[in-house]
Formats: sequence, C-alpha cells, structure tokens
Amino acid sequence: MTPHVILRVVSKFLIPLIAIFAFYVQFHGDFGPGGGFQAGVILAASVILYALIFGLDAAKKALPPSWVRIGMMLGVIVYGGTGVATWLVGGNFLEYGAFTPEHPDHGIHLGILAVEVGVLLAVASVMVAIFYAFGSRQPDLTDEDW
Amino acid sequence: MSPTIILDIGFMAMLVVVAFAIVRLRSLFAIVMLQGVYSLVSAAWFVSLDAVDVAFTEAAVGAGVSTVLMLAAMLLADRESRPVPMSQQIGPLVIVVLAGLAMFYALGDMPAYGDAHSPANAYVGMDYIELTQKDTPHIPNVVTTVLASYRGYDTFGEAVVIFSAGLGVLLLLGLNGNAGKWRAQPNGTRIAAAPAPAARKRPMPKDAPKPTSKPKTVSTTKAKAKSKKGGKS
Amino acid sequence: MDLLSSYPSWLITHGAALLIILPLLVGAITSVLPRERLAWIVTLIVTLICVVTSLGVLLDVYFNDAQLYKMGGWDPPHGISYIIDGLNTPLIFLICAMALLCTIYGLPSVAAEVEPKKRAPFYAAFLIGVAGLLGMVVTGDAFNVFVFLEVSSISTYVLVAMGASRDRRALKAAYNYLILGSIGATFFVIGLGFLYMETGTLNMADIGNILRDLDGGSRVSLVAFGFIVVGLGLKLAMFPLHMWLPGAYAHAPSFVTVFLASTATKAALYLLLRFIFMVFDPSFEYVITVVTYVLTALGCIAMLFGSLQAIFQTDARRTLAFSSIAQVGYMLLGVGMATGLGLAAGYLHLLNHAVIKAALFFALGAFWYRYGITRIDDFAGLGKMMPWTMGAFTLGGLSLIGVPFTAGFTSKLNLVEAALQRGWAWAAIVIVVASILAIIYIGRMLMAAYFQSPPEIDGEVVAKNEAPLMMLIPMWLLALLSIAIGVNADLVVEAAQGAADVLIGGGV
Repeated sequence: MTPHVILRVVSKFLIPLIAIFAFYVQFHGDFGPGGGFQAGVILAASVILYALIFGLDAAKKALPPSWVRIGMMLGVIVYGGTGVATWLVGGNFLEYGAFTPEHPDHGIHLGILAVEVGVLLAVASVMVAIFYAFGSRQPDLTDEDW
Repeated sequence: MSPTIILDIGFMAMLVVVAFAIVRLRSLFAIVMLQGVYSLVSAAWFVSLDAVDVAFTEAAVGAGVSTVLMLAAMLLADRESRPVPMSQQIGPLVIVVLAGLAMFYALGDMPAYGDAHSPANAYVGMDYIELTQKDTPHIPNVVTTVLASYRGYDTFGEAVVIFSAGLGVLLLLGLNGNAGKWRAQPNGTRIAAAPAPAARKRPMPKDAPKPTSKPKTVSTTKAKAKSKKGGKS
Repeated sequence: MDLLSSYPSWLITHGAALLIILPLLVGAITSVLPRERLAWIVTLIVTLICVVTSLGVLLDVYFNDAQLYKMGGWDPPHGISYIIDGLNTPLIFLICAMALLCTIYGLPSVAAEVEPKKRAPFYAAFLIGVAGLLGMVVTGDAFNVFVFLEVSSISTYVLVAMGASRDRRALKAAYNYLILGSIGATFFVIGLGFLYMETGTLNMADIGNILRDLDGGSRVSLVAFGFIVVGLGLKLAMFPLHMWLPGAYAHAPSFVTVFLASTATKAALYLLLRFIFMVFDPSFEYVITVVTYVLTALGCIAMLFGSLQAIFQTDARRTLAFSSIAQVGYMLLGVGMATGLGLAAGYLHLLNHAVIKAALFFALGAFWYRYGITRIDDFAGLGKMMPWTMGAFTLGGLSLIGVPFTAGFTSKLNLVEAALQRGWAWAAIVIVVASILAIIYIGRMLMAAYFQSPPEIDGEVVAKNEAPLMMLIPMWLLALLSIAIGVNADLVVEAAQGAADVLIGGGV
C-alpha cells in the first residue's frame, strides 16, 4: 500500500509515544489525574491506530486475537487475584493494608498499583477486542467509500 | 458572577445544542462525530468543575476510543438512519419530558451550585480528604485512593463490566468476525408443524442480525455509555 | 447447628464475599478454556461451592445474627460493606441453588442450543451473571448495587442473544432488553445521584438513617425515590415496564430462560423491597403513597393483564413469560399491603414462584430438546411422548394455578389472608380471578398434551423419546419441592417471615 506515506511515517513515530504516554498515565495516577482506566484506553488507542494505518491483518500479527482474549481474562484475574492475596494474608477482600501490617499505607500503595495494572489490562484488551471484532466483520473499505 | 460560571453556562449551552443536533441528524457518520464532540465539550466542562480525573476519562473514552468503536460498528450497519414515524416518537418524548420535569421539580430543594456545605461536599467527601492524609500519605491524588482502595470493590465490578462487554462481543461476533452460522437442532425428531418465521428468512442472512435502527435510540447523553455495548446486538 | 459447626470459620466470615468473587474470577478463566466439557465441569464445581457456602451463610444468619462484611476492611460510610441478613440470605441461597440446577441441566441443553466454539465463553458469561445477581443482592452499598446490576445485566443481554442459533428473533429480543435495561439502569443511577445530593453518602443504612432524621427529606429525595422505583421497575418487569420480558424469555436458550425466570426479576424485586423499606421508609408520606396506591394498583393490573395475555399466546414460553409478569403482580400486591403478613406472603411467593417457574421452563426446554416444540399447538400427545417431563410440567402447572397441596396454593393462601387482614377483600377477589385465568392457560397446554394423540410423521406415530436424565433430575427435584412446600411450608414460611421482620423492623 503506497498511499498514506505521511500517515504511515508519522504514525510510526507517534505510536510508541502514545504507548509510553499510556504507561506514564498509568503510573502517574498516584500523583495526578490518571490511572488504569485512562491508561488502558490510551494503550488500546495505540493499537487501534496501528490497525487503522497498517491494516487489521498487520495489527493481528503484532497482537494476536488470542492474546487479546487472554489479556481480558488476566485483567480481571490480576484485580481479583490481589483481593484473593489479601485473603491469604488474613485480611478482608481487597484489604491491601494486610500485606504490610506494620505499615498499612505501604500495603495500600502496593495494592493500588496492582489493581491498576489489572484495570489497564482489562480495559486495553477489551477495547482492542471490540475493535478487532467489528473490524473483522467487513471487507476493507476503499477510499471512495468514505 | 465569576468567570467560571459563565464558562460553565457556555459549556452546558454547547452540550444542549450538540444533543439537539444529534437527535435531529440522520447521517450516522455525523452523529458519531457529534457524539465525540459532545464528550469533548463535557470533558472541558469537567475540567472547569475541577474534576480533572473525570475529564481525562471522558476525553479518553468518550471522545477517543468510543468514537472509533462506534465508527467501526456503523460501518457494519447503514450510513443513514431511517426516519422514525411521528407516532413512535411520542412515547419516548413523553418519558423524556416527564423525567426532565421531575428533575426540575427537585431543583428548588437542591443545594446551591458549588455549595461547600451541601451534604455531597461536606459529609463523606470531606471525610475522604481527611482520611487519605492519614491512611495513604504517599498518594496525593485522593481520587485514586478512593477509586482503588476505599471503593476498590466498585472498581473491580467496573473491570468486570468491561470484561463482560468484551466477552459479549466475543460471543456475538467472534474476534475474527466469523460467528453466527451455526444452527441449533433438537436432539431428536423435530415435529413442530411450521418452522419459526425467522428461520424462513435465512436466504437473506444479512438483514436479520443487525438492528439498523440502533443509533436513533442511542441519542444524547447516554450515547457514550452505550457505545461499548451498543454493537452487541 | 451441627451442620453449621462443620463449616470452617473462615468460610462463614468471608463466605458472602467468596460467593461473588469465586464465580467472577472463575468466570474470567472459563472464558478462555479450550474445551466445553472442562468449562462445564468448572461451572458445576463453582456453583456447587456457592450452594454450600450460601447454605453456611444462611444458617449462620439464622442461628446467630446478621453479618456485616467490610470490603477492603473500611468502615461502612467510607468503604463498601455487605449486609447479610434474614432478607437476602434466602434469596442468595435460591440464586446459588438455581445456578447449580441450571448447570446440571445445561450439559445436554447447551450442547444442543449453543455453537460448540462458544460454549466455554457462554458458561463464563453465565458465571458472571450469577455473580452479578449475587452481588446485587448481598451488597449494602447503593452504588455497588448499580455496578453489579450492570455486571449481571450485560452478561444477561449476551446470554439472551445466544438464543440466535435457535431463533434469529433472539437478537431483537436481546436488543430490546439491552435498550430497556440500560434505560432502567440509567434511571436507577439518576435516582442514586439525587440521593447522594441529599445525604452525601452511598451506604444504604447510612442513607436510611439520614433520611429518617430529615423525616423523608426534601423534594430531592422524593424525585430520587421516583427514579429508583421506575429503574428497578423496569428490571423487575413491573406492569407497564415489562415489554422486554416476553421476548427475552421466549427466545433465550432454555438454560438462560430458566435462570432468568427464577432469579433475575426476583433480585430486582428484592432491591425494590430494600430501597422502599430500609433506605427510604414507609413512614415517609410519599413512600407509603406510592407503595399503597401505585404498586398495589400496578400489581393487580399485572395479575389480570398478564394472565389474560398469557391465554392468547401461541408460544408456550411466551405464555409462561406473561404468567411471570402476572406473578410479579402477586408479589407487588404483597409489597403494596406494607404489612408484616403482606410482605411475608409476597416474599414467600417470590421464593415459591422461582421454584415453580424453573420447573416449568425446564420442562419446556426439554420439549424443544427432543422435538423442537415451542408452540402450544404442537403439544399434542406430549403426555405419551415424554411422560416424565410432562409429569413434572403438570406438577409445576398445578402449582402455578394454586391447587391445594402445592407451593402456589400456600403463597396465594397467605396473600389472601394478608389481604383480608388489611381489609382488602377486593384484592382477594383479584387473586382468585387471576388464578382462574391461570387454570385456562395452563389447562390449554395440559389438555393438548394429555387428551390429544401424538402427531404422525410419514404415517407413523412419533415415538416416545424421554428427556435425558440430566434434564429430568433438576426438573423433578423442583417439581417435588413445589409439592413438598405445599404439604409442609414451615421452613419457607419461616424464611419469608424472617425477611418481613427485617423489613418491618427497619434500620440495618
């Protein structure tokens, strides 16, 4: 596909930046606005942008649909698993303070980081999954159709 | 009148205009784009309300990803929505007007706009600000602590909601877009006198599964909430 | 007490949370399992654990006291807490037990109705739906109700749509359900927003206390009440808001119809009860007005209208769906009386109806499984072709009508007694009339099944072909249970009485 050279070059440059920004949003959530939800959406946007510019097949090669399914599952498992872990150390469900009984605030910090990773995984993979599902339903559009 | 109030009124006026435009338009492409505009304006409004976390989410989800997903869904359906006969519009209109009137009725007893002593600002909300300083001194963003710790269980529920939306799309469309060909058969002799009417429609499978009327029901403010679910049916 | 002491203490303390977390997490894992049989086994084990746990929780609340489980260890107004009391434990047990029976039934049924590749995710969606319903019922936090309402709703929409491989109309039904369900959820959350504006808290008990201090609060809480009742009314198929129900019940896979019919509307009704009596309070003028006049009137109209509509349906599942709308009317009538007896009778009918309707829908699913039958006209000769299934169907049908010595009779008798005690003789008449209408629509099916001869295909009478054992066991279990309740209802009546005591006692 020779057209869209500018788009392809610019997006090749942008996509890694978008992904890095997603992780910035993810881990900066403690201090400023942001967190797993927004980061997941931004991360998904980088994949979707890749699919839009380079085609769905290329995107599926880079990020296979089976991984996306597993990512969806992992998101819920990481979040819930954090809760199960708090059970194992003797607290209530999602009582992160139980991780470090002498300094509950450290445990809470740790727990929040863990569950945010779960949210990131779940949101990013579901967004990509929905896009894959819709995108795979139809033949590629020519420019004239727009 | 403080400048932010003027700003808020301006944003709200824009939202109303965009919402009416969405309801009136027939071109789905324009509607999806306007929904993105709606989200972006509300995100800006949330910033002016000092709810930056909400604004960020609204901008990322509402204006960003959900627009793309709605476009992808729209490509599977028609580009134009069929006009809805007036007789079918009266019922929803009555409901909307009634719901709106109910809210206006409550208006008189609502706390003043931005009132620091209203229950919503003074009670649990204020407690959170004090509690977080004690419980999590290392996390300055109160919103994150409330979201992931005090009400972390709700957030878990939200993650599951997202997951089940994804699961739903997976079940209905399949990740490779190859679902829906299989037919159920009784495990014995079929003796039903006539097949169900829909079964006879099978020669033209394309018309049955997609409700083309989708976006007309998905209007105004609720549209973004439904964008991730809307494609499922 | 002996049974209770055999439970590990951890399971009793954390049981309520485990009931929701386990199906959610395992549901997520199930979605990627490679084999359908494995998915089924996992689902079976999870639902079995849930039944055992919920029984433990039920016994604990019965013998000891109501429990409060703090999610994340945060105290109530700031964190989310679970309330486990006499009002919701019977329902929790009911949902878990129904999930288990449905799973057993699902092995043959799902294999016939759902595309092979989709069966593992299908079970995953089912588990998440179960967890969502349980989460709605068990929580003591108003916003958490909304979150789990969404969890259960979204998975239910999908499950209903899975009926599409049997009948394309399932997609339209699921779409209707999606739109109306979303509107209901939106109304509910608007109501919560108004409540938060008035009280500044989301914990149900806390809201209740503040509203009682304010003596019902201002117009804001009045509007909140309106929105919440309408939102939940949509979910529980209260009379004019029932439009989604017949289609969803008629076109969903059999397995899903059974589960929906026996639990989903019941969970919404439970929420209505909790909001009316424990978040708001019947002592507020607007609450008691709505309960006495609006809910009662809608309940009575639903009883008559639903039963009448049921008579004119051609599709058997649609008939029973309209009958469900009528039965919701009975329960609303019990709620509308707002007396201890009335509430107990309504709650009793809620439990009994779940048992009866599940048995009936199980049987209908088996009819389709063997013969592809959905319409009442095709019932001819089913009494000879599937004697055991038809037997269970007959027991369930009699119970639905309210023949003496069946569960339906017990709850209707209680309702009539409560109505007479309240001085509402007309309500007793409505109950009798609706029951007579039930004789007609159930009678139609039974007459066709027993008094008409089996059809002939190519000159041969269709052979007898009984449903598989996996379908017969849950079906007969429920059919016999409905008779057992009719003969001796002490346990169930006591549970219902306990629930009514919690409601009337107010405060959490």
